[in-house]
Amino acid sequence: MSKKEDILSSFSSKFDVKVKTQRDRRLWASIQKKDLLDISAWLKEKGFTHLSSLSVTDWIDDGKYELTYHLWSYTDNVLITLKTKISRKNPVIKSVSSIWGENAQIHEREMHELFGVKFEGNSDLSPLFLEDWSGVPPFKKDFDWREYVKEKFYDRNNERESGYYD
Amino acid sequence: MIVLAKESKKKIMGKLIKAIWIFNWFNSCGFCELVPLVGSRWDMERFGIIVTGTPRHADVLFIAGYQTIKSIKRAQRVYEQMPDPKVVIALGSCTMTGGMYWDSYNTIKKLEDYLPITMYIPGCPPRPEAVFEAVGKIFNHVKEMKD
Repeated sequence: MSKKEDILSSFSSKFDVKVKTQRDRRLWASIQKKDLLDISAWLKEKGFTHLSSLSVTDWIDDGKYELTYHLWSYTDNVLITLKTKISRKNPVIKSVSSIWGENAQIHEREMHELFGVKFEGNSDLSPLFLEDWSGVPPFKKDFDWREYVKEKFYDRNNERESGYYD
Repeated sequence: MIVLAKESKKKIMGKLIKAIWIFNWFNSCGFCELVPLVGSRWDMERFGIIVTGTPRHADVLFIAGYQTIKSIKRAQRVYEQMPDPKVVIALGSCTMTGGMYWDSYNTIKKLEDYLPITMYIPGCPPRPEAVFEAVGKIFNHVKEMKD
């Protein structure tokens, strides 16, 4: 039995998750929001020491944010992708910075800035790239950036810029 | 400023054009588009143009690439640290007007709102020859000044 199948069988027997083999050495797992910390701690024990990325997808029609955690194991050379959906209206999830430390902290800080997802337990969620930002988080799909730019930077009465308003 | 009042503007500017020391404030592609200037093919040192490591030694501020709301503040601080007389040259369309980032929420659209610009060099990117022409215009401008 290969290492990937070993992880696959123990993972799906221990937790209530749907694990899919995406391709060789690549697993996708859809998990519940409440299981995130347990699964993360268990996977860290198994050797998934590197949270290589954390991303958010905005499913505006479903009213959900999908959080995607990419975990890499240097011992087994397997990539596990954890996916979990949270409510878009109240985007709160527990921080995994207690498990992956600084590695997770900076990813969560960025996602908080760009999507407004609140990570409970993260020590510092202050703005990372945007300074003096007053609008809604800019990566949300309902953020109308063209309208924002017109209001903030351009003047309808300016001859050079009135073309942007047509 | 007392020294400035005694000497004529031509004399002061004459000191500047003996050798133009520049400080680069390059964002994104601005750097790689202007780097050929330094190399042997265009070789800006034959005109006395040297890149300095600190704005306190620079006469000219080259500003290129799109400027974000965050980076323009740093550019302003760089500008304030330069000694008088100082010249600011903006290179490329993104720097001047936002260019292809005209509808981006995070880049500035009118550079003149943030820094006093002496000269604009349009283009995407501007040719190295255009930079020399701009510098040549500074030379000529000073030479033609009245005492």
